[in-house]
Amino acid sequence: MKHAAKQFRQLVALLLLATMGLTNSVRADDYADALQLMRAGKLAEAQTKADAFLSSKPRDPQMRFIKGVIQRDTGRLNEAISTFTKLTEDHPELPEPYNNLAVLYAGQSQFDKARVALEMAIRTSPSYATAHENLGDVYAKLASQAYNKALQLDGSNAGVPPKLALIRELFAPNVKPTAVVAAPAAKPAPVTAPVTAPGPLPAQSASPAPGTAAGPGPLLTAGQEASAKEVEAAVLAWAEAWSKQDMNAYLGAYGKDFDPPGKQSRSDWETDRSNRITGKSRISVKVEKLVVSGDGNTATAKFRQDYRANSLSQQSRKTLTLTKSAGRWLIVKETTGN
Amino acid sequence: MRQGRLVLLLAAAIGLAALPSHASKKQHEAAARAAKPSPQQAGLAEARLIEVYQLLAAAQSLQALEKAEKLVRDFPSFQLAQLLYGDLLALRKQPVRTLGDVPGSLSPESAGNLLELRAESQARLKALLERPPPGAIPSEFVSLSARNKHAIAVDASRSRLYLFENRPQGLALVADYYLSLGKSGVEKALAGDLRTPLGVYFITSNLDPKLLSDFYGAGALPINYPNMLDTKRGKTGNGIWLHGTPPNQFSRPPRASDGCLVLTNPDLLRLIQTVEINTTPVVIAQQLRWVSASQALSDAKPFQAALSAWTQARALGDMTALLSHYSQDFDSYGKTLTQWAEQLRAEQGKITGFGLELKDLSMVRWTDANDTMVVTFGQVAGGSRSGPTKRQYWMRQGTQWKIFFEGVVK
Repeated sequence: MKHAAKQFRQLVALLLLATMGLTNSVRADDYADALQLMRAGKLAEAQTKADAFLSSKPRDPQMRFIKGVIQRDTGRLNEAISTFTKLTEDHPELPEPYNNLAVLYAGQSQFDKARVALEMAIRTSPSYATAHENLGDVYAKLASQAYNKALQLDGSNAGVPPKLALIRELFAPNVKPTAVVAAPAAKPAPVTAPVTAPGPLPAQSASPAPGTAAGPGPLLTAGQEASAKEVEAAVLAWAEAWSKQDMNAYLGAYGKDFDPPGKQSRSDWETDRSNRITGKSRISVKVEKLVVSGDGNTATAKFRQDYRANSLSQQSRKTLTLTKSAGRWLIVKETTGN
Repeated sequence: MRQGRLVLLLAAAIGLAALPSHASKKQHEAAARAAKPSPQQAGLAEARLIEVYQLLAAAQSLQALEKAEKLVRDFPSFQLAQLLYGDLLALRKQPVRTLGDVPGSLSPESAGNLLELRAESQARLKALLERPPPGAIPSEFVSLSARNKHAIAVDASRSRLYLFENRPQGLALVADYYLSLGKSGVEKALAGDLRTPLGVYFITSNLDPKLLSDFYGAGALPINYPNMLDTKRGKTGNGIWLHGTPPNQFSRPPRASDGCLVLTNPDLLRLIQTVEINTTPVVIAQQLRWVSASQALSDAKPFQAALSAWTQARALGDMTALLSHYSQDFDSYGKTLTQWAEQLRAEQGKITGFGLELKDLSMVRWTDANDTMVVTFGQVAGGSRSGPTKRQYWMRQGTQWKIFFEGVVK
């Protein structure tokens, strides 16, 4: 709950910042689109989006930054290093490119270079929390390397490189550097954590004023609002069944018209899902920023899915299409990304 | 605040604040210019290590970190420097409680290595804090001839080797180096006892490093253990060398060898370039006693009287007087006193009447349970320009000094 609320606040802050810092809202949409594609794991599309944007605005720091993250996520580490290095040259006042450069260097066990980059990040922005945390980890790693050399230990058993926090978006230069995205939490959230939807349509609130609903979703009528609440309950139940690894409830949330991804048959898909879900020791699925739209018996639920399983943490945009059948809202389509 | 705590700890433990600046600015500037440390920069790595300690003591931990980083870059296998560098890095994140505040549990071997590095650190600092009094020399060096261009003295209690230059106005301390001694300490008595001998020795040769394994580093200078006193005392063993360190270890712990004296390669190279075979004396003491040169000489007056009396008897061919200077258990490469007396008589014809000069006389004293004097000179008969280089070992018996070995230096 706390975590979700925190993330929500960060997201709002992010949106606000993005709007504040940029003069051109079209540009902000481009960033958001590229980021969403990236988050959804559609890296090739995100790359295409970024490249298209950069072909007309090749010096734009925000999109170059996003491109660097995409390059890193697709494993093109040297290209990512080059992108961030050039950003530090063109915008030495920005701490984020230094931070990400350090993350890349640390991933290659080049801790001396990582240290220099992080110290630069802090020099440009002394209160930059992420860089401070990352630098602490790099210092610890360098210290451990030095100790290994001092004690003539075999360096190979020195453990894995530290997980440094990568910054995914570049903040507007005029924004206070304290408003940074925190490093991803190392521990998975407990399975019992309640699924919450701190989106513009609060599930618990009895009568939200329609006018207060912000965000990309359309404003709803009173009747639509009642339906939306049903859809919301269905989505939350689906997420809860997933979290509890309750396969009956989970598979039961999908209608018989559900179209499995790829060319899988329904039974293959069910087997696949069961294996994946029951194979984990613990799962937590949280629904955030849920927006429901729809008409009559068909509804679309868009939200940010925060999935954690074992040590994996994955955040993505998710869209569920639901239809009402015999009084129940059932999922007929599930897509990741926008 | 974090830095303050460490500094207090270090300063309290080793009195760093009082440390004299060991390395001159010029040395550092030279070091900064040189990409790679050269053999001429003997002792430089230690000077730079000490500078890091001093910066820490002055609460300048960032500059200390910077210097430490450069030091380990130049000397990656300088383990003690790596340990300090590790501490300085860790200090950026959390308080460091002690030298080598290595996190987590260590294997017994690593824990042992850590203790050895702390011992090395202490030894290096101790030797730099407790400097010899200015102008003083080890009491062993009674008198050195002009042929002894250099002299070496080792203080085992400080893991330190002192290098002297013999100048017209006397011995001058020109450098001193950290060194490692035997695993079981000093006072070697038996082969394989892992101890370093104590006594007066001479460098006997200079071994080509190409013929040695990597283990000996830049080279090796064997000394004449067991010497005549050691042999007389029944001591065994051999192959005591001054040598360097293997490539993976810039310096070794204070007690590391099987009895050899181990220096860092740059320091050893300096010695190799300096010493003279069969001439440079090497005094190895548990703890050196530093005295003024005049004190060392005046303390040896009774001995000088005995030596003069021997010289006179030898020159005059007074066999009774001459033989009175020899000990009953005299031994010269297996010759007994009776056999030696024969030889002296035979030689006497060449000497008597022409006078006798002891050229390039050097006297090195060694005092433990016994008081001994190692004397080296060129025995030049009157009218000759040169003669054989002879060495005598004298021992004090009550108030009498007696020769228990005499022979030509081979």
